Amino acid sequence: MRAIRTALRGGLAGRRVQALAIGLVLLASAAASTLAAGLLAASNAPFDRAFAAQHGADAALTVNAAKASAGELAATARLFGVTAAAGPFAEATVTASAAVPDTPGVVFQAFTLAGRSSPGGPVDDIMLTAGHWPTGTGQVVVSRELADTGSGASMSPGTVITLTAVPGSPKLTVVGVGVSVTNTADGWVLPAEMTALGSPLAGQMLYRFASAGSGAAVNAGVAAVRRALPAGTVLGAESWLAVKAQENESILPWVPFLVTFGVIGLVMSVLIEVNVVSGAVTAGTRRIGVLKSVGFTPAQVVSVYVLQVAVPGVIGVAGGAVIANLLAAPVLGPASQVFGVAPQSIPLWVDLAVPLAMLALAGIAALVPASRAGRLSATAAIATGRAPRPSRGYAAHRLLGRARLLPRPVTLGLAGPFARPGRTLVTLAAILFGAVAVTFGTGLGTSLNRVGADLALAGTEHVQIGLAGQSGQQPAPGQPSPAVQQADMAAVIRAQPGTRHYVTESDDRFGVTGMAGTAAVTAFGGDASWIGYALVSGHWYGVAGAVVNTSFLRATGKRIGGTFTLTDDGRAVTLKIAGEVFLPGNDPQVLTNLSSVVALDPSGTSPQMFYVSLRPGVNAQSYQNAVFAKLGPGDYHQLSSGSGVLLQIISGLVLILTLLLVVVAALGVLNTVVLMTRERVHDLGVFKAVGMTPRQTITMVVTTVAATGLIAGLMAVPAGIVLHHAILPIMGNGAQTGFPPGIYNVYNPAELMLLALTGLVIAVVSALAPATWAARARTATALRTE
Amino acid sequence: MDALVQLSEVTKRYDDGKSPAVAHVTMQVGHGEAVAVMGPSGSGKSTLLNLIAGLDRPSGGTVRVGDQEISKLSETGAARFRRRQVGIIFQFFNLLDDMTVADNVLLPAQLSGVSAAKARARLDELLAVLRIAEHRNAYPARLSGGERQRVAIARALVNRPPLLLADEPTGALDTATGEEIGELLLDLNAAGQTLILVTHDPALAARYAKRVIRIVDGQIAAVVTPV
Repeated sequence: MRAIRTALRGGLAGRRVQALAIGLVLLASAAASTLAAGLLAASNAPFDRAFAAQHGADAALTVNAAKASAGELAATARLFGVTAAAGPFAEATVTASAAVPDTPGVVFQAFTLAGRSSPGGPVDDIMLTAGHWPTGTGQVVVSRELADTGSGASMSPGTVITLTAVPGSPKLTVVGVGVSVTNTADGWVLPAEMTALGSPLAGQMLYRFASAGSGAAVNAGVAAVRRALPAGTVLGAESWLAVKAQENESILPWVPFLVTFGVIGLVMSVLIEVNVVSGAVTAGTRRIGVLKSVGFTPAQVVSVYVLQVAVPGVIGVAGGAVIANLLAAPVLGPASQVFGVAPQSIPLWVDLAVPLAMLALAGIAALVPASRAGRLSATAAIATGRAPRPSRGYAAHRLLGRARLLPRPVTLGLAGPFARPGRTLVTLAAILFGAVAVTFGTGLGTSLNRVGADLALAGTEHVQIGLAGQSGQQPAPGQPSPAVQQADMAAVIRAQPGTRHYVTESDDRFGVTGMAGTAAVTAFGGDASWIGYALVSGHWYGVAGAVVNTSFLRATGKRIGGTFTLTDDGRAVTLKIAGEVFLPGNDPQVLTNLSSVVALDPSGTSPQMFYVSLRPGVNAQSYQNAVFAKLGPGDYHQLSSGSGVLLQIISGLVLILTLLLVVVAALGVLNTVVLMTRERVHDLGVFKAVGMTPRQTITMVVTTVAATGLIAGLMAVPAGIVLHHAILPIMGNGAQTGFPPGIYNVYNPAELMLLALTGLVIAVVSALAPATWAARARTATALRTE
Repeated sequence: MDALVQLSEVTKRYDDGKSPAVAHVTMQVGHGEAVAVMGPSGSGKSTLLNLIAGLDRPSGGTVRVGDQEISKLSETGAARFRRRQVGIIFQFFNLLDDMTVADNVLLPAQLSGVSAAKARARLDELLAVLRIAEHRNAYPARLSGGERQRVAIARALVNRPPLLLADEPTGALDTATGEEIGELLLDLNAAGQTLILVTHDPALAARYAKRVIRIVDGQIAAVVTPV
């Protein structure tokens, strides 16, 4: 035992660079794999885990507080089958506007406020992601969904919301942002605030049931509550299953790419670690021979070398776990935002299991070559020594030595990888994975940008101006009728110098023959082809035609060129499907001309908004302000989509993950080159002794991995494109949509040429530091090195 | 004397060493001279050779070879100096195992940018003179010790350096082969090649050098001219 300890101490002290390389590579591998596993864990049923963690409500009931006393409502918590209950929380749905910087006039038509004294409780914990819970009246915590995407602009603490439909238009200052896993409200205030708002009659009761795995079980629980309360108390109920279906619709598209990055990270970490550790042990074969010659048994040799890896390895994986948790915030935070759940951290089991697994892997990677060397005779081990197996790479040296067009240091470097083909292949694989991540990430980023542009109809600079009384509501007293508003607005828009095109838009829902439920129908009051809706296939509609989304085609089983019939109160209109429009989501949608559907609802299809495209160079905000100024006071407002914020978060996440994988690949190459130069330090001394300059030394060392990097980069381009084309349809499937061709065709020739160089760049940049060290090494010292 | 090598008050102290490996050495070697540096193991003779070759830097004093002050050269300058001005022969040959005899010999010429045709011609000449032409495509591992040292000598001479440094050139060889290599060095010197030979063997020094510098504890203890 003492001999092992002595040999171990000597091995660590005498090979500090090697120990450092092992420690570093385990640090990088453990960090990357822990983070990757954390990402995979976060992508696994995020809603279910968040639901469990935040004690989501199996059912959220809206109750009439005037019908039942607080005591009667509280008593429902003790009903058979009810495991927890919270409430009643006063609830009100009001119209509100927010003063969001740079986005004035943002209106929330249905802003649901709930009065709660604290974010916690037995059901539906509100996880605060920013700010604090209201401490007094005039304060509100808004849901992250609303804060991030509800208005098209981010709301943060300090934003002022005006409850426009409440007498006196009271103002609430946002003091926090919170996440309710079951989306029980858009904002939370203190109960006293609700009283000040006018004692709403509605209240919110939240329940968890012993059995809530199916719709029937949830309905049974709700029915039991309904029975226990006076008739008419329960005004409505929302099942967690409905929320889950809705949330999963937004989660499913993003899981595939996160899983892809996670798997790449794990595989790359394993490859790099095995490569460096086994290489380090193999480099010690001569020393193993020396140890055997002084009486070490094969088992003792193996023990020394496994421990020699384990000592820096333990430090490395511990540091890696810490780094992974530090990086978890910028990586898992956006992932949680994308999934719409509270911020997630790396699970404890991942923090423990993954670093230990990486350590065990390092042990195995050391065990195999140490056992092999331990079985050699002492003289054979000493003879095998530092040099690669005889004859490996000799032919490459010979052939490249004759290549007169290339400088000798380059040909020497190019021959290097052939000396250890196994190590070269694993290095190539590690760079390949890093470069694939870059190709995939670049393509995905461009695709997401185009998705964002297509969804935001960014092909044209536009504004949407809503009319009061939309969605079937009647204008408030004093407001002009929809017809007057339309005429006024059309006149103003027509006269506005910045107007390029405009068209009215009506939104309604109609039945579709042969399809359950209804489809959302958007009818334009004129030519709307200029809006720039992206088409997955087919073309824009003509007379008596329509374009429909993928969800519509799936729900009806129809194809482009076929016809479908919209129905409403016994009236029917048949339209021809001209094309498949890119509108994700599981809501069947139809875009058509107003004249084609006016027969369905002659009185109810008045326009709800104007869609205006602007002339080049016209500022949307200035235009809108000018229009509002001319329209005068009224309930005209800007409408905007919030999908851009989510896509920005995802694009940022793609960038972070791609960079992380590139860094891991680069660290792997760096450590491999460090070991390689240490192994060949004597040869480096010889090269320098016969006149190799520092620059030539750097060239030679860098070239040793440059060719490998170049080949990996060239292979990575098609592999990354294949991955991109394979993952996108899965993401689209999750979003219930096909993609327009432009979403797939994102790689241009110049970009592909640059991407092909990714592997070379990773290799060269990683090799520069050890190459510089090799160039600086003293020749006499290098020649003395065994 | 027309000095090719001039050392003036040269001292070399290693970081971990209490006493200098070389201390205040002053010596000169003339063009065409054959000088042996002799001393017991650890006396500093190899360090002295490394300093002359520009493989290491002195802690003090100056080393000049020809018109160049080696001690002031950058790493790149030292490398260029080694290519053109010195050829080095090592005790354990220091050949590159994964390269053929021809590639080993050609390496300094290729690093210097000598044209391929000129380098090949020089290679052929040296392999013939050193009687290893039949091994030009062989790998060092397949050669005997004497043949390897001949390859090392060929490599040292490929760029026609004015100065040849030999560090225990016969130390890893049997007696007969050592004799052969010694004769070869003698022939080279006779042809005008300046030679500095490091050895701990007095007989070798006496036989092959015209002047013997004896080093003890890093200092010149004596300078002897063999009879």
